[in-house]
Amino acid sequence: MAGTSDPHASAFSAAELEFLAEDEMIEIVPNLRMDALNFISGDFGPFRPQIPTQAPLWLAVALKKRGKCTIRAPEWMSVDKLTQVLEAERDSDKFQPLPFHYVEISRLLFDHAQGDIPDTYMVRSLIEDIKDVRFHKIGKGLESISGGGTFALKLKNLSAMEANIVRPFVTRALETFYKLSSSDMIQETDNAPNRQQTANRGPRVSYMFMLYIVKSPTDAQRQLKDR
Amino acid sequence: MASYYDIGDILAEEELVPTVFQYGANGVGLLDSSDDADKVEAGSRAELPFWLVRELYLRQLVSIRVPPCFDRESKTREEIAADAAHVDLRSRSPYFYELGCKIALLIRDRTIGPFLLVAFQTRYRDVLVKAHALTLTMTPKYLTLLTNEEIKLYEAGQSSIAAFKKWRMGGPRFQVAPVLGRKRKLT
Amino acid sequence: MDSGAGESSAADDYESLMSTTDAELLKSAWRNEKAAPEILNYAADLVQRSRQQIQLMEEMVEDYINDGVDPLTVSLYQIDLDRTMFLLRSYLRTRLQKIEKYVFHIQKTAEEWNRLSKQEQKFASRFAGDIKHHLDQSVLSRLPDQYQSHLRQSAASEEDDMVPEPQLDSYVVCRSKKYLGAYQLDDGGQELINIEADDLYALPYKSIKPLVESGQVDLV
Repeated sequence: MAGTSDPHASAFSAAELEFLAEDEMIEIVPNLRMDALNFISGDFGPFRPQIPTQAPLWLAVALKKRGKCTIRAPEWMSVDKLTQVLEAERDSDKFQPLPFHYVEISRLLFDHAQGDIPDTYMVRSLIEDIKDVRFHKIGKGLESISGGGTFALKLKNLSAMEANIVRPFVTRALETFYKLSSSDMIQETDNAPNRQQTANRGPRVSYMFMLYIVKSPTDAQRQLKDR
Repeated sequence: MASYYDIGDILAEEELVPTVFQYGANGVGLLDSSDDADKVEAGSRAELPFWLVRELYLRQLVSIRVPPCFDRESKTREEIAADAAHVDLRSRSPYFYELGCKIALLIRDRTIGPFLLVAFQTRYRDVLVKAHALTLTMTPKYLTLLTNEEIKLYEAGQSSIAAFKKWRMGGPRFQVAPVLGRKRKLT
Repeated sequence: MDSGAGESSAADDYESLMSTTDAELLKSAWRNEKAAPEILNYAADLVQRSRQQIQLMEEMVEDYINDGVDPLTVSLYQIDLDRTMFLLRSYLRTRLQKIEKYVFHIQKTAEEWNRLSKQEQKFASRFAGDIKHHLDQSVLSRLPDQYQSHLRQSAASEEDDMVPEPQLDSYVVCRSKKYLGAYQLDDGGQELINIEADDLYALPYKSIKPLVESGQVDLV
């Protein structure tokens, strides 16, 4: 194996994505008095007992570990919201919008602030279910990539962790498709007058997870406006 | 030339390709072991590694007989059309796609490309499903059907899932530094 | 390029640039460098500013300790400092890894050579020299004359055919902060893709290289 020099290796490790997720903001309720903190990464606070304020996750977790605050679970992490998401996720081939780092955020909170999340058990299992449904759909979506034209893949609403997991497989498969369908390999039906034809064929873009293959740029724009 | 140090590419070019000599040649008896004379006759057939075939072909010393697995009326094509996922491509050539590409580009055969594409397209779905399923007991047998490119794809899918699972179970993670007392020397 | 970004005005760009903190910029420089197959432009000013901030912060933490400031506060500042240093180090290290991998290619390509910082150029020159020296000593000097190059297979080669270079058509995953409209993917102008804000796309790196360089999309 080529090891680290393998261009297909994941660009990021799970731990690095977790690092990025730690900069996401979350609401905390401090139980101490502390002046505002002027960090390189931004200004936070001041902190007053029982007054909710916003802080990056890493700061929230650091305070929590020292017993200096409680963390308020984000809105999307409630049983109601997650139940809705799970249902929608099951009913549709599309991916429901969730925070870009939802996988990392939920793990961080479960690890460090379990007691602060209402209905922990339910929430945890709902997130697991949502993740499983989404992974199943990712598999289905990838199966439907059609070669001979797939040049770009749109991964709508895919989260950071999900994208990172499928990256090695997807990039490798796309590169093979790309190579096998290069113009040197595939016969052109007609050389000179096919400009018109190709234009009608539309972009070779697979709008994965969106359930439609876009026929032409104008169609795509129309669909955009309709939404 | 980016592929110079690519071991896969080097090995792919070791694959044998059937050829027919256009001219007789002396002193190359080792290419044709049918008799003791140290030469090959015009019209004799030999299987040579691709890297050699390319040089001879470009000098018009040999003609290439497209290997049966890429041939227009081959059994492989029929099998692929019927049930691509379970065809043992590895036994045809571990470098099925790479070799196919190389031959297609060399002899400008435009029928090989679309065939390779269809084969890859139908087979990679199965690779994906198996890579993500992670039931290790069944994989060794399945892997023997795959070409090298497909195995790499399989491994790519599987190792990223495995890495994720490890992280979820609480593998090594970025530690928020346990601070005080740990000071960095100012430079 | 001309098919993209029709609607965004220069004022918009300026505004978004001003509202982006160095911490954010460093993060995206790090991400791009990690995900791009080739070495990117050295973020000279950003690195310079980040270094200064780190130094200031180190001095400040030192003062806090001496002044007996609450250990909790000090520890929080230290975490922030550690996080920034991690990004900076990993950024520089990622670049060094690429330089080692493609050193001969970078050395002979003026455009790429100029993407390196002065220190990186110094490192690259020495590294390339050492590798060449090692190859000469251990193998090349014992080969026949026409096979003694570390760049060419033989004297008959028409180009440097033993130099590994980055694969620009490898696929990357990217995300745009805002709607970029129909973007042309290939040279022929027949492949268009609508790049929408915050959606992910898997594309060949070379097709969006200009967008990465101009900071319009981030690799993720």
